[in-house]
Amino acid sequence: MFNNKKTSRLLSSPYIVWALIFIIVPLGMVVYYGFTDKSGAFTFENVAAITSLVHAKALGLALLLSVISTIVCFVLAYPLGMILAHNKMSNQGIVTTLFILPMWMNFLLRTLAWLTLLENKGVINGILEVLHLPGINVINTSGAIVIGMVYNFLPFMILPIYNSLSSIDDNVINAARDLGADARQTFFKVTLPLTVPGIVSGITMVFIPALTTFAISTILGGSKILLIGNIIEQEFTLTYDWNLGAGLSIVLMLFIVVNMVVSAMADNGEEQDKKRMPSGRSGGASE
Amino acid sequence: MSKELIRLEHISKSFDGELILDDLDLVIHENEFVTLLGPSGCGKTTTLRIIGGFEKPDSGRVFFDGMDITGLAANRRQLNTVFQKYALFTHMDVAENIAFGLKIKNKPRDYIEEKIHYALKLVNLEGYEHRMPGSLSGGQQQRVAIARAIVNEPKVLLLDEPLGALDLKLRQDMQYELIRLKNELGITFIYVTHDQEEALTMSDHIVVMNQGYIQQEGTPEDIYNEPENAFVADFIGDSNIIRATMVRDELVNILGTDFVCVDKGFGENKPVDVVIRPEDVELVPRGQGIIPGKVTHAIFKGVHYEMEVEASGYEWQVDSTRLFEAGSEVDIQVDPFNIQVMNRPESEDEEAMAIDV
Amino acid sequence: MRSKIEKLYMGIILLFMYAPILTLIVLSFNSSKSRARWGGFTFKWYINLVHDNSVLNALANTLIIALISTIAATIIGTITCVGIMGLKRRSRTVLMGVTNIPMINADIVTGISLMLLFKVMHFETGFGTVLIAHITFNIPYVMLAVLPSLRTINPNIYEAALDLGAKPFYAFRKSVLPDLAPSVLAGALMAFTMSIDDFIITYFTKGSGFDTLSTKIYNEVKRGIQPEIYALSSIIFLAVILLLAASSYIKHRQNSLKKGKYLYKADRKISRGQAVALAAASAFIVILAMYFGGVFTRKNNQLFVYNAGEYLDPEVIEMFEAETGIEVVYDEFETLEIMYAKMVQDDGAYDVICPSDYMIAKMIENGMLQELDLDQIPNRKNIGEQYMEASRSFDPDNTYSVPYCWGTVGILYNKTMVDDPVNSWDILWDEKYSGQILMQDSIRDAFMVALKRRGFSLNTKDPGELELATEDLIAQRPLVQAYVIDQARDKMIGGEAALAVTYSGEVLYAQNENPDLEYSVPDEGSNVWIDSWVVTKKAKNPEAAMKWIDFLCRPEIALMNFDFVTYSTPNTKARELIEDENVRNSEVAYPGNDILKRCDAYSYLGEDGDLLYSNMWKKVKSGI
Repeated sequence: MFNNKKTSRLLSSPYIVWALIFIIVPLGMVVYYGFTDKSGAFTFENVAAITSLVHAKALGLALLLSVISTIVCFVLAYPLGMILAHNKMSNQGIVTTLFILPMWMNFLLRTLAWLTLLENKGVINGILEVLHLPGINVINTSGAIVIGMVYNFLPFMILPIYNSLSSIDDNVINAARDLGADARQTFFKVTLPLTVPGIVSGITMVFIPALTTFAISTILGGSKILLIGNIIEQEFTLTYDWNLGAGLSIVLMLFIVVNMVVSAMADNGEEQDKKRMPSGRSGGASE
Repeated sequence: MSKELIRLEHISKSFDGELILDDLDLVIHENEFVTLLGPSGCGKTTTLRIIGGFEKPDSGRVFFDGMDITGLAANRRQLNTVFQKYALFTHMDVAENIAFGLKIKNKPRDYIEEKIHYALKLVNLEGYEHRMPGSLSGGQQQRVAIARAIVNEPKVLLLDEPLGALDLKLRQDMQYELIRLKNELGITFIYVTHDQEEALTMSDHIVVMNQGYIQQEGTPEDIYNEPENAFVADFIGDSNIIRATMVRDELVNILGTDFVCVDKGFGENKPVDVVIRPEDVELVPRGQGIIPGKVTHAIFKGVHYEMEVEASGYEWQVDSTRLFEAGSEVDIQVDPFNIQVMNRPESEDEEAMAIDV
Repeated sequence: MRSKIEKLYMGIILLFMYAPILTLIVLSFNSSKSRARWGGFTFKWYINLVHDNSVLNALANTLIIALISTIAATIIGTITCVGIMGLKRRSRTVLMGVTNIPMINADIVTGISLMLLFKVMHFETGFGTVLIAHITFNIPYVMLAVLPSLRTINPNIYEAALDLGAKPFYAFRKSVLPDLAPSVLAGALMAFTMSIDDFIITYFTKGSGFDTLSTKIYNEVKRGIQPEIYALSSIIFLAVILLLAASSYIKHRQNSLKKGKYLYKADRKISRGQAVALAAASAFIVILAMYFGGVFTRKNNQLFVYNAGEYLDPEVIEMFEAETGIEVVYDEFETLEIMYAKMVQDDGAYDVICPSDYMIAKMIENGMLQELDLDQIPNRKNIGEQYMEASRSFDPDNTYSVPYCWGTVGILYNKTMVDDPVNSWDILWDEKYSGQILMQDSIRDAFMVALKRRGFSLNTKDPGELELATEDLIAQRPLVQAYVIDQARDKMIGGEAALAVTYSGEVLYAQNENPDLEYSVPDEGSNVWIDSWVVTKKAKNPEAAMKWIDFLCRPEIALMNFDFVTYSTPNTKARELIEDENVRNSEVAYPGNDILKRCDAYSYLGEDGDLLYSNMWKKVKSGI
């Protein structure tokens, strides 16, 4: 199973075909549309359109808000992951369930619910008023969009971080303490570096959807704040300039390519280490 | 006997309402190789972790070199641990792993380099400085873990089933290496294992534990030859452990037949257990011994034959250099000095035996 | 102490995660249709749900798609994971990279790329294409869950099984699968969840007449959600909780039964317990879906109707179906532009559509409509002559369209928050009301406001005039609280804003919910619009389409629709049937000639005009 080349190819070939048709070819079509104009002639204009003031501003704002959201998610998720991993109460199932459960309420409904919560006369301000506290004025601002992004994507940060934290052997932490490291040193020299893979995948899974969202900004930003996702969506659904939409999508895809390169590099590093290993467990016995 | 180094007094510890250690007292001396031996769940690892500072006892105190260290954090204790499954830092290479403790203590660079070199030489891993732990075999990782601990020059090295994950051959090699290391370093080793053979091979002093209690302490010879109860007897080596009745001093009724023995003071007609090692059961041709029996299995083991004999409704294990083929009709006899009579243990100990052994 | 802080922190995060959920559950019991107002406790949305075929249909589609795509993705994903382990390192890296694409790629790009593919390959969009899309983005989730645990499994187990004479599949099933089962299940659960929650990819790959819950909700988000959707979501949510609780109860019981002696076996039983729970859930879902959905029984005599959201009484559809035996496939669009985009993509997707004036002109010009067979629409006579007259601005011979609703665009305002007289668009530029103004999030309406304010034509193509309007709109931007479409209604009802540009049809409903609201058509003039029914050129069932239009022209049917949508009906006979005199003679619903005189209809601007407007609009929205 694990080593038989022929079987391996046989088993993976259906998916390879599937991926070719439904992942690679469609992406090729996006590229094709992105580099042609309405008459089908080659052009750079659609991709270059990102430099226009309106598009660049939308991209810049999307980058800013998604970076902020990613940082907030990380800052919220890491301590939570530590609490969950530390308390053990949490068999993996319960934790996973607890944080993917909200996804069973439709994403748009959940976001819409935030509108009800955050509005100037909304639930939160209502509560603040009862408590004689000053109200918040956050709806239709970038702040509301960040809240929406953090809310929707936080589970994608929590889960990988929690997984990588809980996969650290307790004794590795004990070993650090045993060797004289205090709590702070243990965290920065051992815990944090060991969870880097989880952090990287958490960042990817928050940053990319936050960067490209258009629904959250539409609902919570009152359509006043235009992100790059909104622009692309409008090109396809409103102005039906598919070529321009595809061209801007290509720009977005650049971020994904960068991401793939980075994770492929990480994967390579790991593999090379394994390669240097003599030959499994027998190596030790011979010494 | 050398100077006392560690003393545990009245240690109790429970997890989730389950009592793991119950009022445990233990003294460990300088430069000893002490083994905590027992089945899983007996409390040996918890004891080790309390010494290491990874668990706080619910009650009782821990003394180190006369000082109370019960509340002292692990990183401030003068001992180091080799963990089960090695617990190496997988994001650091071998040298960085070994240097970890020294860097924390801000030792100078040259000193650290020298120590890494020394430690790797000691564990036979020269030239492995820049390998990642993931690329090492189990045995090699184990050596790195040991090197990482000993560069800190601890007074005591705690080893938590360090060989558990290795295969048999490697385990035997490592046993001798550990003895060598201990002798070269001249420090105290506290070793936790459930493998009685490991314990007998390496230790100066064995502490047999079960269900949170110390069952027996002593040298390997004491423990093997004179088990104090059925649990120890059963846990250390193969034994015939038989329910019997002490008829009076120096006479015990085993399976309906009276045997002469050397034990006294159990009272008259008291239920007891007797332990008879397989090598102490003698087989003689029918009519020459005490109980008649029939050989059901016989296997050649090199030095001796291992046989099973059905007699008086009990499967006797017998080791002998003289072969009786399966199916032979024989008699059994036992030298009175080889019958070890013990008090019948508490019922929970019996249960512990049934499950864990 | 430390654990108290930890608990508090976890509590806050959980509150953050579940506050919106709670809000939705509360809303499902709100007797007011408006999200913004609490109208008392009610169960009626739950009761209505049972009869709401469009919602139940969407639910059935959602569940069937999720279930089939999960099963397919789980099988393909698991098999591929096993295969991948034996591939060369480079091919494995490449394949994993490709696999990651749908997961890390923006949904919108994935959706668009698949849409382009289906279009070029002439796939009929609908159930099949959505299913393919879901399988495609679900596979990575399964592989992500399975691969790590497959790495930890000792291949010797499998080889040992082979050695003992087991056939490969049997060996895999018996030796590897049991250890793999928990992660396969975890992957499947994740895939199922993602499938349920997805809307962007579904939105771009679904065809006409096919909706999942998400796309249905998306259509409604901008208009204001039907409370039945809240009810349904609450039910789904509670069902999932119950299911999980049941499965963990089973697990717990098995654990305590086996406690101690056979821990290992108990561990394996857990996954079996979960498997049973999951199987039961799947069966339940399928039965539920088949019961409500009826998706497997497609009749031949179908009519595809495309209308704006909440723009028709659902009961009317049922009556039409009962009377004619024609099955109506009813779809809703969010904006005319989106409707048009859809029709460009697939011009035979719908038989009968209800667009507005300028869009009808555009469609006529582009040859997308067919002339009506007036003999089959005798009830057209019920439509008032003045509306037929007005229609000629976009349908010169009244041959393509039959008016359905009409109205004006004006300012809806809250008397308690606005002291000044509302008779000019200027008030929307008054700094006094900064942050209290809701603008229309639609190109033509927004520009209409700015153009009319300066006295220009609302159909101008003069770049200079448009430039001025754009500047004005950008200047107005800081004062605007939000650009919304039909959400304006809910926000005004809830007192969120003081002034909103709205359609007159929303006014009756809004006033009903909040009596402080008033409506005014500014003196500079405004837009008067007519939404009319048209039949598409490529309609597959034109006769049914004519019957449909005729049916809607019946006075009692038109009245039902008026009661439901509250937009003014051009059906004179129906208007006479309105019982409430205040409504029948409402200035808002039936403005006098003085008002109508200063209002114009939109006309089609041509492709260049459209482009000009949309580029200007982009500038407004981004404020540059």
